[in-house]
Amino acid sequence: MIRTGIKRGTAELAVLSVLEGGPMHGYEMARRIELQTKGALRFTLAALYPMLYRMEQQRWIRGTWETTSKGRRKRCYRLTPAGRKKLSPLRREWAELFRALQRLTKVVDA
Amino acid sequence: MPNWQELVRQHLSGLTLDTAERDEIHAELAAHLEESYEVFCAEGFPQREAVERTLAQAADWQDLQRKILIAMRRKQPMQKRVHQLWIPGLLTMMLSTIFVIALQKLGFQPRLVGSGPSGTLFYASWLASLPFIGALGTYLSARGGGLLGTALLASVFPALALTAVFLLLFPIDFVVERVIRMPVDFGTVAAALLRDGIEWILVPGAALLAGGFLMHRGLLSLLLFVSREAHACQHTPVQRDAKTDMRHDMPSCAQDCKTN
Repeated sequence: MIRTGIKRGTAELAVLSVLEGGPMHGYEMARRIELQTKGALRFTLAALYPMLYRMEQQRWIRGTWETTSKGRRKRCYRLTPAGRKKLSPLRREWAELFRALQRLTKVVDA
Repeated sequence: MPNWQELVRQHLSGLTLDTAERDEIHAELAAHLEESYEVFCAEGFPQREAVERTLAQAADWQDLQRKILIAMRRKQPMQKRVHQLWIPGLLTMMLSTIFVIALQKLGFQPRLVGSGPSGTLFYASWLASLPFIGALGTYLSARGGGLLGTALLASVFPALALTAVFLLLFPIDFVVERVIRMPVDFGTVAAALLRDGIEWILVPGAALLAGGFLMHRGLLSLLLFVSREAHACQHTPVQRDAKTDMRHDMPSCAQDCKTN
Protein backbone atom coordinates (compact mmCIF):
# COMPACT_ATOMS: atom_id res chain seq x y z
CA MET A 1 0.00 0.00 0.00
CA ILE A 2 1.27 3.46 -0.85
CA ARG A 3 1.81 5.58 2.23
CA THR A 4 -0.26 8.76 2.61
CA GLY A 5 2.90 10.83 2.56
CA ILE A 6 3.93 9.39 -0.81
CA LYS A 7 0.45 9.83 -2.26
CA ARG A 8 0.38 13.40 -1.03
CA GLY A 9 3.80 14.01 -2.53
CA THR A 10 2.72 12.80 -5.98
CA ALA A 11 -0.46 14.84 -5.82
CA GLU A 12 1.46 17.97 -4.86
CA LEU A 13 3.92 17.38 -7.67
CA ALA A 14 1.03 16.91 -10.11
CA VAL A 15 -0.67 20.14 -9.04
CA LEU A 16 2.53 22.20 -9.11
CA SER A 17 3.40 20.76 -12.52
CA VAL A 18 0.08 21.62 -14.15
CA LEU A 19 0.09 25.08 -12.60
CA GLU A 20 3.50 25.66 -14.11
CA GLY A 21 1.67 25.81 -17.43
CA GLY A 22 -0.50 28.70 -16.23
CA PRO A 23 -3.21 29.60 -13.73
CA MET A 24 -6.31 27.42 -13.56
CA HIS A 25 -9.19 26.56 -11.28
CA GLY A 26 -9.76 23.35 -9.36
CA TYR A 27 -11.94 21.51 -11.86
CA GLU A 28 -9.69 22.32 -14.77
CA MET A 29 -6.67 21.21 -12.77
CA ALA A 30 -8.26 17.86 -11.89
CA ARG A 31 -9.36 17.27 -15.47
CA ARG A 32 -6.00 18.16 -16.93
CA ILE A 33 -4.16 15.86 -14.51
CA GLU A 34 -6.56 13.02 -15.32
CA LEU A 35 -6.16 13.49 -19.08
CA GLN A 36 -2.39 13.90 -19.01
CA THR A 37 -1.91 10.83 -16.82
CA LYS A 38 -4.46 8.89 -18.92
CA GLY A 39 -6.67 8.38 -15.91
CA ALA A 40 -3.92 7.06 -13.61
CA LEU A 41 -4.30 10.07 -11.29
CA ARG A 42 -7.85 11.02 -10.45
CA PHE A 43 -8.85 13.56 -7.87
CA THR A 44 -12.02 13.51 -5.83
CA LEU A 45 -13.07 16.73 -4.12
CA ALA A 46 -11.74 15.34 -0.84
CA ALA A 47 -8.34 14.73 -2.39
CA LEU A 48 -8.02 17.96 -4.34
CA TYR A 49 -9.37 20.88 -2.34
CA PRO A 50 -7.91 20.20 1.13
CA MET A 51 -4.55 19.82 -0.62
CA LEU A 52 -5.01 23.09 -2.52
CA TYR A 53 -5.86 24.90 0.73
CA ARG A 54 -2.83 23.39 2.43
CA MET A 55 -0.54 24.33 -0.45
CA GLU A 56 -1.97 27.83 -0.39
CA GLN A 57 -1.08 28.15 3.28
CA GLN A 58 2.42 26.97 2.51
CA ARG A 59 2.42 29.79 -0.07
CA TRP A 60 3.30 27.49 -2.95
CA ILE A 61 0.14 28.54 -4.79
CA ARG A 62 -2.19 31.53 -4.55
CA GLY A 63 -5.94 31.45 -5.20
CA THR A 64 -7.89 34.49 -6.38
CA TRP A 65 -11.52 34.85 -7.42
CA GLU A 66 -12.02 35.63 -11.10
CA THR A 67 -15.17 36.21 -13.11
CA THR A 68 -15.39 34.27 -16.38
CA SER A 69 -16.88 35.68 -19.56
CA LYS A 70 -20.11 33.83 -18.64
CA GLY A 71 -20.26 35.83 -15.43
CA ARG A 72 -19.33 32.90 -13.22
CA ARG A 73 -17.03 33.35 -10.28
CA LYS A 74 -14.24 30.81 -10.04
CA ARG A 75 -11.19 30.55 -7.89
CA CYS A 76 -8.05 30.47 -9.99
CA TYR A 77 -4.79 29.17 -8.60
CA ARG A 78 -1.38 30.39 -9.62
CA LEU A 79 2.08 29.12 -8.86
CA THR A 80 3.96 31.49 -6.54
CA PRO A 81 7.73 32.01 -6.71
CA ALA A 82 7.99 29.77 -3.62
CA GLY A 83 5.99 27.07 -5.42
CA ARG A 84 8.16 27.37 -8.51
CA LYS A 85 11.22 27.01 -6.30
CA LYS A 86 9.72 23.92 -4.65
CA LEU A 87 8.95 22.27 -7.98
CA SER A 88 12.48 21.51 -9.20
CA PRO A 89 13.77 19.68 -6.08
CA LEU A 90 10.44 17.84 -5.89
CA ARG A 91 10.84 16.71 -9.49
CA ARG A 92 14.41 15.58 -8.82
CA GLU A 93 13.36 13.62 -5.72
CA TRP A 94 10.58 11.83 -7.56
CA ALA A 95 12.74 11.07 -10.57
CA GLU A 96 15.32 9.61 -8.23
CA LEU A 97 12.68 7.53 -6.44
CA PHE A 98 11.29 6.16 -9.73
CA ARG A 99 14.79 5.29 -10.96
CA ALA A 100 15.52 3.54 -7.67
CA LEU A 101 12.26 1.57 -7.88
CA GLN A 102 12.98 0.65 -11.46
CA ARG A 103 16.44 -0.63 -10.53
CA LEU A 104 14.96 -2.57 -7.64
CA THR A 105 12.21 -4.23 -9.69
CA LYS A 106 14.72 -5.21 -12.40
CA VAL A 107 16.87 -6.92 -9.76
CA VAL A 108 13.84 -8.71 -8.36
CA ASP A 109 12.70 -9.77 -11.85
CA ALA A 110 16.15 -11.14 -12.68
CA MET B 1 -30.16 20.29 -12.63
CA PRO B 2 -29.52 20.29 -8.88
CA ASN B 3 -28.82 23.51 -7.05
CA TRP B 4 -25.13 22.80 -6.50
CA GLN B 5 -24.60 25.70 -4.15
CA GLU B 6 -27.42 24.51 -1.89
CA LEU B 7 -26.29 20.91 -2.10
CA VAL B 8 -22.75 21.77 -1.03
CA ARG B 9 -24.04 24.04 1.73
CA GLN B 10 -26.22 21.24 3.11
CA HIS B 11 -23.49 18.60 3.02
CA LEU B 12 -20.78 20.86 4.43
CA SER B 13 -22.87 22.67 7.01
CA GLY B 14 -20.48 21.54 9.74
CA LEU B 15 -17.53 23.57 8.47
CA THR B 16 -16.78 25.50 11.62
CA LEU B 17 -14.87 28.29 9.94
CA ASP B 18 -15.63 31.98 9.84
CA THR B 19 -18.56 32.88 7.59
CA ALA B 20 -16.56 34.41 4.75
CA GLU B 21 -14.16 31.47 4.57
CA ARG B 22 -17.01 28.95 4.66
CA ASP B 23 -18.98 30.75 1.95
CA GLU B 24 -15.92 30.85 -0.30
CA ILE B 25 -15.34 27.11 0.10
CA HIS B 26 -19.03 26.37 -0.60
CA ALA B 27 -18.91 28.55 -3.71
CA GLU B 28 -15.70 27.00 -4.98
CA LEU B 29 -16.87 23.41 -4.57
CA ALA B 30 -20.28 24.21 -6.06
CA ALA B 31 -18.56 25.75 -9.10
CA HIS B 32 -16.46 22.59 -9.46
CA LEU B 33 -19.52 20.31 -9.37
CA GLU B 34 -21.50 22.53 -11.72
CA GLU B 35 -18.74 22.58 -14.30
CA SER B 36 -18.22 18.86 -13.98
CA TYR B 37 -21.94 18.27 -14.53
CA GLU B 38 -21.94 20.47 -17.62
CA VAL B 39 -18.97 18.65 -19.09
CA PHE B 40 -20.70 15.28 -18.54
CA CYS B 41 -23.83 16.64 -20.24
CA ALA B 42 -21.74 17.99 -23.14
CA GLU B 43 -20.12 14.55 -23.48
CA GLY B 44 -23.60 13.14 -24.11
CA PHE B 45 -24.49 11.58 -20.78
CA PRO B 46 -28.17 11.72 -19.88
CA GLN B 47 -28.98 14.23 -17.17
CA ARG B 48 -29.46 11.62 -14.45
CA GLU B 49 -26.18 9.89 -15.17
CA ALA B 50 -24.37 13.21 -15.40
CA VAL B 51 -25.64 14.04 -11.90
CA GLU B 52 -24.59 10.63 -10.58
CA ARG B 53 -21.11 10.89 -12.10
CA THR B 54 -20.72 14.40 -10.73
CA LEU B 55 -21.79 13.37 -7.25
CA ALA B 56 -19.41 10.41 -7.34
CA GLN B 57 -16.57 12.94 -7.06
CA ALA B 58 -17.80 13.82 -3.60
CA ALA B 59 -18.86 10.39 -2.42
CA ASP B 60 -17.85 10.96 1.19
CA TRP B 61 -18.91 14.43 2.32
CA GLN B 62 -17.93 13.78 5.93
CA ASP B 63 -14.40 12.94 4.87
CA LEU B 64 -14.25 16.01 2.66
CA GLN B 65 -15.48 18.23 5.49
CA ARG B 66 -13.01 16.75 7.96
CA LYS B 67 -10.06 17.16 5.57
CA ILE B 68 -10.98 20.75 4.77
CA LEU B 69 -11.22 21.57 8.47
CA ILE B 70 -7.82 20.01 9.14
CA ALA B 71 -6.27 21.91 6.22
CA MET B 72 -7.81 25.24 7.19
CA ARG B 73 -6.99 24.98 10.87
CA ARG B 74 -3.32 24.75 10.10
CA LYS B 75 -3.56 28.26 8.74
CA GLN B 76 -0.83 30.24 10.44
CA PRO B 77 -2.14 29.55 13.96
CA MET B 78 -0.01 32.24 15.57
CA GLN B 79 -1.13 34.94 13.16
CA LYS B 80 -4.77 33.91 13.64
CA ARG B 81 -4.43 34.03 17.41
CA VAL B 82 -2.92 37.49 17.22
CA HIS B 83 -5.85 38.81 15.17
CA GLN B 84 -8.56 36.94 17.02
CA LEU B 85 -7.41 37.26 20.61
CA TRP B 86 -4.31 39.30 21.38
CA ILE B 87 -5.01 42.49 19.45
CA PRO B 88 -8.72 42.77 20.43
CA GLY B 89 -7.93 41.66 24.00
CA LEU B 90 -5.09 44.10 24.51
CA LEU B 91 -7.19 46.86 22.99
CA THR B 92 -10.08 46.25 25.41
CA MET B 93 -7.58 46.20 28.28
CA MET B 94 -5.98 49.45 27.12
CA LEU B 95 -9.31 51.22 26.66
CA SER B 96 -10.74 50.12 29.99
CA THR B 97 -7.53 51.08 31.83
CA ILE B 98 -7.24 54.47 30.13
CA PHE B 99 -10.88 55.20 30.90
CA VAL B 100 -10.66 54.39 34.61
CA ILE B 101 -7.42 56.41 34.95
CA ALA B 102 -9.07 59.35 33.14
CA LEU B 103 -12.04 59.18 35.52
CA GLN B 104 -9.71 59.26 38.52
CA LYS B 105 -7.73 62.19 37.06
CA LEU B 106 -10.92 64.10 36.32
CA GLY B 107 -11.90 63.76 39.97
CA PHE B 108 -14.76 61.28 39.67
CA GLN B 109 -15.39 59.62 42.99
CA PRO B 110 -16.17 55.92 43.25
CA ARG B 111 -19.46 54.91 44.84
CA LEU B 112 -19.32 52.82 48.02
CA VAL B 113 -21.63 49.82 47.96
CA GLY B 114 -22.14 48.10 51.30
CA SER B 115 -20.75 49.31 54.60
CA GLY B 116 -17.81 48.63 56.86
CA PRO B 117 -14.75 46.65 55.78
CA SER B 118 -16.81 44.56 53.34
CA GLY B 119 -17.96 47.66 51.43
CA THR B 120 -16.77 47.83 47.83
CA LEU B 121 -16.06 50.84 45.64
CA PHE B 122 -17.39 51.11 42.09
CA TYR B 123 -16.88 53.71 39.38
CA ALA B 124 -20.39 53.76 37.95
CA SER B 125 -19.43 55.53 34.71
CA TRP B 126 -16.55 53.13 34.15
CA LEU B 127 -18.79 50.11 34.71
CA ALA B 128 -21.34 51.60 32.31
CA SER B 129 -18.65 51.91 29.63
CA LEU B 130 -17.41 48.32 29.96
CA PRO B 131 -20.18 46.59 27.98
CA PHE B 132 -19.29 48.80 25.01
CA ILE B 133 -15.59 48.03 25.39
CA GLY B 134 -16.39 44.30 25.67
CA ALA B 135 -18.56 44.57 22.58
CA LEU B 136 -15.71 46.21 20.67
CA GLY B 137 -13.37 43.37 21.67
CA THR B 138 -15.87 40.79 20.45
CA TYR B 139 -16.45 42.64 17.19
CA LEU B 140 -12.72 42.91 16.41
CA SER B 141 -12.14 39.27 17.30
CA ALA B 142 -15.05 38.08 15.15
CA ARG B 143 -13.83 40.25 12.28
CA GLY B 144 -10.50 38.46 12.55
CA GLY B 145 -12.35 35.15 12.24
CA GLY B 146 -12.69 34.37 15.96
CA LEU B 147 -15.45 31.97 16.97
CA LEU B 148 -17.77 32.64 19.94
CA GLY B 149 -15.35 31.37 22.60
CA THR B 150 -12.36 33.36 21.34
CA ALA B 151 -14.46 36.48 20.81
CA LEU B 152 -15.78 36.32 24.38
CA LEU B 153 -12.27 35.73 25.72
CA ALA B 154 -11.16 38.87 23.88
CA SER B 155 -14.01 40.84 25.44
CA VAL B 156 -13.19 39.78 29.03
CA PHE B 157 -9.45 40.01 28.47
CA PRO B 158 -8.90 42.90 30.96
CA ALA B 159 -10.56 40.90 33.76
CA LEU B 160 -8.53 37.80 32.90
CA ALA B 161 -5.28 39.75 32.85
CA LEU B 162 -6.08 41.25 36.23
CA THR B 163 -6.93 37.79 37.61
CA ALA B 164 -3.51 36.59 36.50
CA VAL B 165 -1.88 39.57 38.23
CA PHE B 166 -3.85 38.84 41.44
CA LEU B 167 -2.86 35.20 41.36
CA LEU B 168 0.78 36.14 40.90
CA LEU B 169 0.74 38.82 43.57
CA PHE B 170 -0.62 36.54 46.27
CA PRO B 171 2.35 34.11 46.42
CA ILE B 172 4.83 36.96 45.85
CA ASP B 173 3.29 38.88 48.75
CA PHE B 174 3.39 35.75 50.89
CA VAL B 175 7.10 35.16 50.17
CA VAL B 176 8.00 38.81 50.78
CA GLU B 177 6.21 38.81 54.13
CA ARG B 178 8.03 35.62 55.13
CA VAL B 179 11.37 37.16 54.19
CA ILE B 180 10.82 40.37 56.15
CA ARG B 181 9.33 38.29 58.98
CA MET B 182 6.14 40.25 59.30
CA PRO B 183 3.19 38.52 60.91
CA VAL B 184 0.56 37.95 58.24
CA ASP B 185 -3.13 38.05 59.05
CA PHE B 186 -4.53 35.72 56.41
CA GLY B 187 -8.09 36.69 57.26
CA THR B 188 -7.37 40.32 56.35
CA VAL B 189 -5.50 39.34 53.21
CA ALA B 190 -8.31 37.05 52.06
CA ALA B 191 -10.95 39.72 52.76
CA ALA B 192 -8.91 42.31 50.82
CA LEU B 193 -8.44 39.91 47.92
CA LEU B 194 -12.13 39.10 47.82
CA ARG B 195 -13.12 42.77 47.94
CA ASP B 196 -10.63 43.76 45.24
CA GLY B 197 -11.62 40.74 43.20
CA ILE B 198 -15.26 41.82 43.23
CA GLU B 199 -14.38 45.48 42.52
CA TRP B 200 -11.88 44.96 39.74
CA ILE B 201 -12.52 41.50 38.33
CA LEU B 202 -15.94 39.96 38.90
CA VAL B 203 -18.25 42.92 38.32
CA PRO B 204 -16.19 44.52 35.51
CA GLY B 205 -15.71 41.07 33.95
CA ALA B 206 -19.48 40.49 33.97
CA ALA B 207 -20.04 43.90 32.35
CA LEU B 208 -17.46 43.19 29.64
CA LEU B 209 -18.89 39.73 29.03
CA ALA B 210 -22.45 41.05 28.79
CA GLY B 211 -21.38 43.57 26.15
CA GLY B 212 -19.39 40.96 24.27
CA PHE B 213 -22.20 38.45 24.32
CA LEU B 214 -24.82 40.93 23.16
CA MET B 215 -22.56 42.05 20.35
CA HIS B 216 -22.02 38.48 19.23
CA ARG B 217 -25.70 37.66 19.33
CA GLY B 218 -27.20 40.69 17.69
CA LEU B 219 -25.17 43.46 16.22
CA LEU B 220 -22.43 41.31 14.78
CA SER B 221 -24.71 39.35 12.47
CA LEU B 222 -26.16 42.65 11.29
CA LEU B 223 -22.72 44.13 10.61
CA LEU B 224 -21.51 41.04 8.78
CA PHE B 225 -24.68 41.04 6.69
CA VAL B 226 -24.17 44.70 5.74
CA SER B 227 -20.51 44.14 4.86
CA ARG B 228 -21.41 41.08 2.73
CA GLU B 229 -24.05 43.09 0.88
CA ALA B 230 -21.54 45.85 0.23
CA HIS B 231 -19.03 43.26 -1.02
CA ALA B 232 -21.62 41.70 -3.35
CA CYS B 233 -22.45 45.15 -4.79
CA GLN B 234 -18.79 45.68 -5.67
CA HIS B 235 -18.85 42.57 -7.86
CA THR B 236 -22.14 43.25 -9.65
CA PRO B 237 -20.84 45.57 -12.41
CA VAL B 238 -18.11 43.09 -13.33
CA GLN B 239 -20.61 40.27 -13.65
CA ARG B 240 -23.02 42.37 -15.68
CA ASP B 241 -20.24 43.35 -18.11
CA ALA B 242 -19.22 39.74 -18.42
CA LYS B 243 -22.75 38.60 -19.22
CA THR B 244 -22.84 40.77 -22.36
CA ASP B 245 -20.11 38.55 -23.73
CA MET B 246 -22.14 35.33 -23.51
CA ARG B 247 -22.24 34.72 -27.26
CA HIS B 248 -18.65 33.54 -27.12
CA ASP B 249 -17.67 30.06 -26.05
CA MET B 250 -16.73 29.99 -22.44
CA PRO B 251 -12.95 30.20 -22.34
CA SER B 252 -11.06 28.17 -19.80
CA CYS B 253 -10.32 29.74 -16.47
CA ALA B 254 -6.65 29.76 -17.38
CA GLN B 255 -7.48 31.97 -20.35
CA ASP B 256 -9.57 34.23 -18.16
CA CYS B 257 -6.80 34.54 -15.66
CA LYS B 258 -4.26 35.30 -18.34
CA THR B 259 -6.40 37.96 -19.99
CA ASN B 260 -7.00 39.57 -16.62
